[in-house]
Amino acid sequence: MSQEMKSQCSDEYHSSDEDMDEDINNYYEDMGDDNDVNEIQEDDPESFEFELLKVEDVERLLNESVETLCKAINVAPSLAKLLLHMQKWLSTDVIARYRQDSSKLLRDSRLAPTNVVQVCNSPFTTCPVCLQRCPAEIMSGLTCGHRFCNDCWQQHFAVQIQTAVSTGIECMFKDCCVLVPEDFVLQIVTNPKIRDKYQEFCFRDYVNSHPELRFCPGPNCSTVIRATERKAKRVVCKECNTCFCFRCGIDYHAPTDCDTIKKWLTKCADDSETANYISAHTKDCPKCHVCIEKNGGCNHMQCSKCKHDFCWMCLGDWKTHGSEYYECSRYKENPNIANESAHAQAREALKKYLFYFERWENHAKSLQLEEQTLDNIKKRIEEKVMNNSGTWIDWQYLLDAAFLLKKCRYTLQYTYPYAYYLDKGPRKSLFEYQQAQLEAEVENLSWKVERAEITDRGDLENQMDIAEKRRLTLVRDFLEL
Amino acid sequence: MANIAIQRIKREFKEVVKSEEVAKCNIRVEPKNDNFTELRGEIQGPPETPYEGGMYILDIKIPETYPFNPPKVQFVTKIWHPNISSVTGAICLDILKDQWAAAMTLRTVLLSLQALLAAAEPDDPQDAVVAKQYKENLEMFNTTARHWANVYAGATKREVECDSKIQQLKNMGFEEHKARVALSTYNWNVERAMEHILT
Repeated sequence: MSQEMKSQCSDEYHSSDEDMDEDINNYYEDMGDDNDVNEIQEDDPESFEFELLKVEDVERLLNESVETLCKAINVAPSLAKLLLHMQKWLSTDVIARYRQDSSKLLRDSRLAPTNVVQVCNSPFTTCPVCLQRCPAEIMSGLTCGHRFCNDCWQQHFAVQIQTAVSTGIECMFKDCCVLVPEDFVLQIVTNPKIRDKYQEFCFRDYVNSHPELRFCPGPNCSTVIRATERKAKRVVCKECNTCFCFRCGIDYHAPTDCDTIKKWLTKCADDSETANYISAHTKDCPKCHVCIEKNGGCNHMQCSKCKHDFCWMCLGDWKTHGSEYYECSRYKENPNIANESAHAQAREALKKYLFYFERWENHAKSLQLEEQTLDNIKKRIEEKVMNNSGTWIDWQYLLDAAFLLKKCRYTLQYTYPYAYYLDKGPRKSLFEYQQAQLEAEVENLSWKVERAEITDRGDLENQMDIAEKRRLTLVRDFLEL
Repeated sequence: MANIAIQRIKREFKEVVKSEEVAKCNIRVEPKNDNFTELRGEIQGPPETPYEGGMYILDIKIPETYPFNPPKVQFVTKIWHPNISSVTGAICLDILKDQWAAAMTLRTVLLSLQALLAAAEPDDPQDAVVAKQYKENLEMFNTTARHWANVYAGATKREVECDSKIQQLKNMGFEEHKARVALSTYNWNVERAMEHILT
């Protein structure tokens, strides 16, 4: 906790009762950020510099880039914007390439056609879309020379915007990929709802194509994060408290890298299906307890491992059943060795996966439960302060402990996918050793946080220090950037 | 239906009717109802392909937002082709999806479909079974496609061996189309096809 924060809250301590409630809330909300955001430490492998932008800030930023480009190469602003969007907002690169070969850059960015069509100058022409003869003044077109009547353009835009296409809207001609710039669309589309939608979608596209920007993935959050490097680092949105990876946009996942965590999450989604299937379509042999899938209609089962004959329905010994099922015995005569080993392998793979998955799930659940502990701590501190037993500053270490616990357990949860994909070897042994160390300290800390009031403050703070050190050691050794 | 869609379709009819492809009996299109939302198309199997001599009927549905959205086209005539479902007749063709342009017409669609019959794209398949056969055993694919063209699209070239194998399964009491699908799927191996039908 910084000195500044302390003085700030002791000031607030003297304000009136009503204000105080609000202050308490604000104070607690700020706490989370204070612990892990923007505090750059030299040797912290997770430190990352970023800023939070509002929509207006982003618009200003984008417009500045557009203006700079317009000044440098003298093109219309809406063309410049699309050019930057297509070239990932690399202004200096765009300027250099434009000066070298402007028509090539425009062609590559789909702003100019590969071959231009001669524009017909007669006062009446047939619109190739509605096939109506139209006066030339209600026809318009892009640099490619394909001209259509404005009614057709308008409907084309409406249909495209309805399907969330915005910066990607193309000319209506067959095989013509020339993109329609913003001002052309806005000139023709009059419906205010469609205009708003269009501008909203464009903005989304611009942010997505900008290497320094990323939308906060939090629900209904419009914050945009800006960082100069697109690294797999932790970003916390101050508006909605969502904590995510700047590189891939999903939940922060150190020490696991972006590709691995995606693989793991897909696997979890797929394998829960597999696990469901196994529980729905398999039973364990009543004698040797190997898992058996029923792949035929016959209820006379023979375990492929121990050759025990039993009835699928009642799991009882088959000998006690009548002879009317005898015709099904061909399954018995054809024990499939190859399948059996494949099955055993699959079973083993599943076992391994379930081992990691259970722990991953368990820590996720613990995180949820500890969220309640945190709420209780907040409540109890409030009570204590109201009863004049100490000030917030006196009890603040309890909150710090709860936040630190959350942080450590979060990392611990994300060590499991990492371990699952790690090849056997000394590196895995080291990882698992450190993981076990971290796990032990996290559980110790959790124990002490739950019993915070009867734990000595020094003892608790010592435990916090140990847990965080374990966490940092693991992250420092295994977080690959 | 929106005004522009009807106007377009009516004008397109004139275009298709006038075009030289119609004169050569290569493509045809006619309305199924008065409001032009459903049409029936026909394309001739292109020469020097397994579909030569066959006539393929298409089901064309015109969306409200035509021509800003593509027409929905499906094969009614059964066909063995990597980009067309042998079960439903659904077509995998870029211009019927995201590569559609408002300036395209029914005529260009039908001609593109004809071109698709002449040049399959097995790497972008609609029917995985057919595409696999196309890539692994082109000769077998050609035989199967010719057989389907003969049976369903009226092409004259008969595949005698295919016919006799189907007859063989029919004599055992299996339904003809089911037998054909199974045999086509299992490279005309009678035992495997039978096994497939029975499971």
